Formats: sequence, structure tokens, C-alpha cells
Amino acid sequence: MNLRRQLLLVSLLTLMLPWAGCEFIRETEIALRSGQEQMLAGTARAIAGTMVQYRDKFPARDRSYSVGDQLYIYRLDSRPEIDGYFDDWTLPPASLRSLRGSDGPIRFAVASYAQATYLYVEVADRDVIYATPQSLLVDGASRHADRVTLISNSPSKFSEAFTFAAEAPGRLISYRQSPFGFEAQATITAFWQDIPGGYRVEARIPSGLLGPRLGLIVQNTADPLQAGTRSTSFSGRMPGLAMSTIAELEQVAEELVGPDMRLILTDADGWRVAAAGVLGSGGGEPLGTGFARRLYDLLVERGKEAAFAEPDPLGREQQPYVSAALAGRERGAWFRSADTGTAIVAVAAPITDGVEVIGTVVLQRGTDAILSQRNEGLSRLINVTLITTLVVAGALLGYATWLSRRIRALSIAAEDALETENLASAFPSALAGDEIGDLSRSFSSVVQRLGEYNEYLRSLASKLSHELRTPLAIVTSSLENLEHEELNEASLGYTARAREGADRLRRILSAMSEASRVEELMKHAEPEQFDLRAVLHSTTRAYRDVYKHRLFEFTSSIASAQATGSPELLIQMLDKLVDNAVDFSEDGDTITLSLEMQDDEFLIAVSNPGPELPERMRLQLFDSMVSMRSGNDSRHLGLGLYVARLIAEGHGGHISADNVEGGVCFTVSIPSACNLGATKR
Amino acid sequence: MAKRIAIVEDEAAIRENYAAAFSREGYVVDGYEARRPALDAFESRLPDLVVIDINLKDDVEGGFELCRELRARAADLPIIFLTARDSEFDAVSGLRLGADDYLTKDISLPHLMARVAALFRRLDAMQKPQGTESRITRGDLSIDTERMTIHWQDQSVGLTLTEFWLVHALARYPGHVKNRQQLMDAAQAVLDDNTITSHVKRIRRKFHAIDERFDSIETVYGMGYRWISN
Repeated sequence: MNLRRQLLLVSLLTLMLPWAGCEFIRETEIALRSGQEQMLAGTARAIAGTMVQYRDKFPARDRSYSVGDQLYIYRLDSRPEIDGYFDDWTLPPASLRSLRGSDGPIRFAVASYAQATYLYVEVADRDVIYATPQSLLVDGASRHADRVTLISNSPSKFSEAFTFAAEAPGRLISYRQSPFGFEAQATITAFWQDIPGGYRVEARIPSGLLGPRLGLIVQNTADPLQAGTRSTSFSGRMPGLAMSTIAELEQVAEELVGPDMRLILTDADGWRVAAAGVLGSGGGEPLGTGFARRLYDLLVERGKEAAFAEPDPLGREQQPYVSAALAGRERGAWFRSADTGTAIVAVAAPITDGVEVIGTVVLQRGTDAILSQRNEGLSRLINVTLITTLVVAGALLGYATWLSRRIRALSIAAEDALETENLASAFPSALAGDEIGDLSRSFSSVVQRLGEYNEYLRSLASKLSHELRTPLAIVTSSLENLEHEELNEASLGYTARAREGADRLRRILSAMSEASRVEELMKHAEPEQFDLRAVLHSTTRAYRDVYKHRLFEFTSSIASAQATGSPELLIQMLDKLVDNAVDFSEDGDTITLSLEMQDDEFLIAVSNPGPELPERMRLQLFDSMVSMRSGNDSRHLGLGLYVARLIAEGHGGHISADNVEGGVCFTVSIPSACNLGATKR
Repeated sequence: MAKRIAIVEDEAAIRENYAAAFSREGYVVDGYEARRPALDAFESRLPDLVVIDINLKDDVEGGFELCRELRARAADLPIIFLTARDSEFDAVSGLRLGADDYLTKDISLPHLMARVAALFRRLDAMQKPQGTESRITRGDLSIDTERMTIHWQDQSVGLTLTEFWLVHALARYPGHVKNRQQLMDAAQAVLDDNTITSHVKRIRRKFHAIDERFDSIETVYGMGYRWISN
């Protein structure tokens, strides 16, 4: 992974900023909410304390029936028309309670408005059996018709039944059945409406006719001769107490409730006995629907759906926090609507008369203020951190690019300097005060030292040869003088051997100083125009004379090659290469010289069959005093190829060695328009 | 009368060896190890030939200095540089100062003797009237083997002894390629390829100074050189 990617990854850490911000917001939100909750709880407790004095207003609990046997009577805000339609009831459809019927669900609601009780029943019935006038007359309510019956305990403790059966759709007459008889009730208005798959009954009964207990029976028959099945709203013999809001308690609640709050009072079973107040928006603006909204929904604890905070449509508060209060524990809850952004903090507190829980106080408050505050903070935070992240990532990326470019440049420069041994080249970032600057300077000094060392190696040979020349001259001249003395046989042999040795030493010294002489020659050489092909051709012929045991071949696909440079030096270079080729080949082998043109360069190749070059030697081969010859061949000090390289490079060219099929090929490239001397480094 | 040869050489062993060799040949030899004593001695009497080392003890360029002073004093005094410095630059500098030859210490004593003898012969020949039997003529070139002088288009070409021998070897048999070994033998010197190349270059330049169209010495690449008679 390169530096840029690494730093880009590091820059991802800046994403911690929005995360931390969100965490902070969440914490703030929770703190604010719990503050509100505590405040609400305090109020709720106070209200609960107040409500104790109204304990006699709460419905008395009667264990003779279960909660399921009870009905809830809603308070309507306007008078409904008795026409079989539910839409003029100011109730949500969810307020309709369901019973299981034989042909499908039965849905009904009981409500009150101005001293009258209203009933709405919706029955699924595959075939509606109407009552006959006769059957109505005989026993008031025919057993063989579909009908709806409202059971009531009259205030006089008698059980009474109000039956609604129709001879035909439309207005119908209700009959009251009591221990005192069976009679048509003119004060009851009722309407029967057939609908596809069933029928609907809507009725108004003066409240005075009904007792505190109410229940519903639906008789469904498919055959006038059969009684059919009965569905009831209660499971026992008698229905339970009908629940409703209690005017006195509602009045108290109205007085107690604060602005932007909703107060709900329930009895010990959770039936709502009073509700007051309207949830305000909290004064803030609701959260929008954009990006912030969605992010917010992702981040923040969702809470329960806000609809659950609404008063229960069926009249009985069953939310867990209310249940907890009914069990005697104060509990808070948090509601929120993802659609509208409404958020509600709610607290339920038990009302105890010292012995048992007689009801609960449910206090709710809209928390849009928190939301809004948070929303504003959130979007600001998101914007700021997003920009920060982008800026930081961008800056880091730019920085990384800059940094990696510097390092890259340094690395390229170092490689370049090593390659060309150009010690004068300044390294990038050499003046920088940072670590890269340090690195650059160390590189520079390393390369410089390396160069000095190489230079030392290079000059070593010539210096050595120079220093050895004088003592050698002493030896040779002494020997030559000695030869003029009277010497016996043995001494003559010794001097001859000493002369031989001195001669060899002289040749070695001469070879050692060759490189520096070549360098000097090139400095002063005057480049001339010549035909390189002719030179090579002529030289190849000369090699045939010199090396009798090798075959020489010269190939070239170009007719003439006008080159600039020093032919003598190039021949000297060829001599070295050919000498090398001869040394590594066997008698009878063919050494091939070739000249080709490639782009603007002449390629001179000398190849010979023989052992391959070891890979590690290929680059060092042309350095001073590097020889791959084994043994102590005194003629070679590893200077021949170095001289060849000097000449090639002096001509602005390049020399390289490659292994080819069964042999070695040395290639020299020389620019056709070379400026000898000027290209000297 | 025996010729006097002065050897100015800081290395005693070499000085003694050369002195012994010269004495054997019948020369009178004076050895000096530095420039100052040599000059002092030359004040009273000039030798017939001086062999100078360039590097004289701490006097790095002392030989050049000495050569300059001697040349100023005696224009015809044969001066030979005999030095360990084999660089082209030094050779050119030495010859430019008027030395008659520039030899490296690689040279063998017999070769050195031959050169010294040749120099004396040339000096002697200069005194005598020009004889025709010792003259070789090749077109514009005429070689006086006695005086070891060469003329091109009747103008004297100032060649050193080595250069003279090289030209002589080439021009004696025009058209024949002389390889480097043959040239080396002719010049009575052990020279490497590069030295021969630079000698030939110098010779060409000297001819060019007289005749810009001079091209009688041809390089036969890989083989050697040959004289082309025009």
C-alpha cells in the first residue's frame, strides 16, 4: 500500500468527528428527555396525589366480571344522524370493537352525546334474514331473524334487552324486553342498512333507559326456522360495567393539565376516565424529510411509534408504561413518529389510596423543542464535520501526494545517481529541514562516498602503476647493467629470469595505467568522421591474422556507417572485447562481429561461444579491476572491459553484456552523431 | 674527446645505473640529484647532452623548469626527458619546451643508448656538409638519414627522434603496412598502442603545419599505418 492510500485511510479517522458529534447529540437528547421526563414525573406525582381526594369518583371495582366483559362509551363531539353510517361519528374507525361472528367479524361502538346513548353495529352476514311482522308481534323478537340486542342492567337492577331486528332495511322499531313484559320503544330511534356481505344498525337510546352495565348480543341465522348463532360482547352471564369518561374527573383534569400537555386518568383497570389537554408542537419546528432527517432517524433511539401515545381508541390504556403504573410503579416512555417527527415524552404514575392502586395519571408532553434544537445542531454538526472531514481528507491526500512525490523524486534521484555515478547531481529536498531532508542528505553523502570510493578504485590502478614505475626502472636498469658484468652460467640464468619477471611487471603496469591514458586521450581527442563499417571490416581482417586459432565473421546489414568519434579508440575498445571473446572461447570457434543501426545509434556486437556470464557479474563486469577469469592470469587485472566501457561512454554510448544461446554477446551502442569529449562526464 | 652527459635524476639508484651504462659506452657522466646543483655546474661548463627527470624530489615540475633554463642558454643542446610520467599532457609539455625526446622509464638501457648515440650522430651530421647518398626522396618528402631530418616540400619538419624514426620506417617502403610492433622496433622504444597513435597524430599535425593537404600517412584500421607516396 503506498503512502497516499495509507494517509487516505488515516484520514478516514476524521469520520470519528461526525460520529462523536452524533454521540454528543444523542447524549444531549437523552439528557434533555430525561429532564423533561423527570419534570413530567414530578407533575404526574403531584396530580396523582391530588387525585386521591377524588377517589370516590373513580368507578368501583367489581370482581364479578372480567375487564373483557366491559364496554366503553365514547363521548361524541356532535350529534350523529341515525342513518346507518358511521362517518358522522367523531371517532376514529379504530374505536370500533370487534367480535367474532359466525359469518365474519362484528364491529361495534357505543357512544354518548347529550343524554343519549348511541349504538353502531356492523355485522358480516352472508344472508340476512329479516323478521316478519308476525314474529315480531308474537313474542316481540322473532327467534328466527338476524338481530342485534343490547343488554342492560337497568338502574332498578333488572336486566333488560333492547332488540333491533328489521322487517326491511330502513327505520325499525326497537323492542324492550324486561321482567315486566315486551314492548315497542318509541323513544329509541334505529336504522337498519343492508350492505354487501352484511348489514349495519345504528341506534339512539335515551340514556335514562339504560343501566350501568351494558352488553351486546348479535344473533345470526341463515334459516328462519333455526335459531342460529349468538355472538356476545361478554363472556359471563351478565355484561360488565360500561365505562366512560367521568365528568367530574374530566373537569379536575382540565384544571390540572398544563399547556402543551395531555393528561389522561385511568381507573384501576386502565379504562380512561378522563382526558384533557392537547399536545402542542413544543414550539419548535418539526424535522424535515431530507438527508438530516434520515440520518437522524438512523442515529437516534427511535422510541415507540407516536400513535401509541394517543389515547387508546378502545378506551383502555394498555401501553406498558401504563400497565407498570397500574402495577404500582411509576414509568416513563418515549414516543416518536418517524413520519411526522412528533415526539412525545410520557409518564404514568399510579394513584394509590394508601391500600391499592385506584387508577393512574398519564401525563404526556410533546418534545418537538428538543427535536428541533437537536435538528438544528445536527444539521450544523453534519455540515461542519462533513466539510472538516473533506478538508482534512483532501489536505491529507494532498500532503501525501506531495510527500510521496518528494520521496519518489528522491528515490529516482538516488537510483539515477547510482546508475550514472553522477555525484554532482543535487538530491531533491536536500535543503528541507524534515526527515526527508535528512534522508536526502544521507543519500547524498552515501552516494558521494560511494563515488569517491569508485573514483579511488579507478585511480588506484594508474596511481599504483605510476608509483611502481620508478622502482621497476631501478630493477630493470640494474639488471641490464648486470648483464654487462662477467657472469657465470647460473647467474646469467637468474638475471634472465629476473628480466622476464620485470618485463611482465612492466606490462602489467602498462595495462594498469591504460585506463587513465584512455581517459586522457578522450579528453583531448578530436572527433573525426569515418566509416565505422569499413573500420570494423578492416579490423576483423586484422583479427584473423592475429588470432590464428579463431574464426572471425563480420556481418552488417548496412552499407556504410558514417560515424563521428575516434576510430583508434573504438578499435582499442574492440581489441578489448575481441581479446575477451578469444579468452572465453575454444580453438576453432567463430567470433562474430556485427554492426547494425537502431534509431540513431550504431550497435556494435561482439559475440563468442563459451560459458555464460554469471548473472551477478553482469553489471560489475565493466567496473575497474573486476575480472571473472579464474586463476592468476597475470595479463588481466579486470581492466580490459573497464577500458572498453570508458571508450564506449566517452563516445556517449553504452556497453552491455548478455548471455545468448551458448555464448556471450557484448553490445556497444554509439550515437551516430556523437560529440566525443563533450559527453565525457 | 669523450662526450659529456649530465643526468639530473633524484633517484640515486637509477642515476647510478644510467651513469654506469653511459660510462660503459665511453661517455663522461655527471650525475645531479636536483635542479639547483645541476644549474650551478652547468654555469661553468655545459654538457653535450642532458637527461632530465621531470619530478626532482620536492620540485615536482623541476625538470621542466630546468629544461626551459637550459634551452634558453643553449639552443642546440640535446635534452632528453626520462621520466616515470607517461601522460600525454606531460609529453606534449616537455616537447614543447624544446626537449629532443621524451622517454618513459620503461625504456631499456640499450634503447636509451641507441637514442643518445643517434642524437649525437645527428648533432655531428649537422656540422658536416649535406651528402646525397644518405638521402631518401618520396615525392614531396625527403629524408636525410644522416642528419635525421625530414623535409616536406623543401621545408624542414621539426620532428623528434622517435617521430623521425617512425616516419622513416613508414616512408622507406611506401604502400607497406607497418604494424605497431614494427613501428615500435623502428623507434627503438617500448610504446603502447596509444602512444603510437598519439605520435602519429603529432607527426601528421607537424606535416599539416607545412601542407594542409598532407595525407600521406594512412591509418589501416586494426593493422597499422602505411605511407602513401603522392
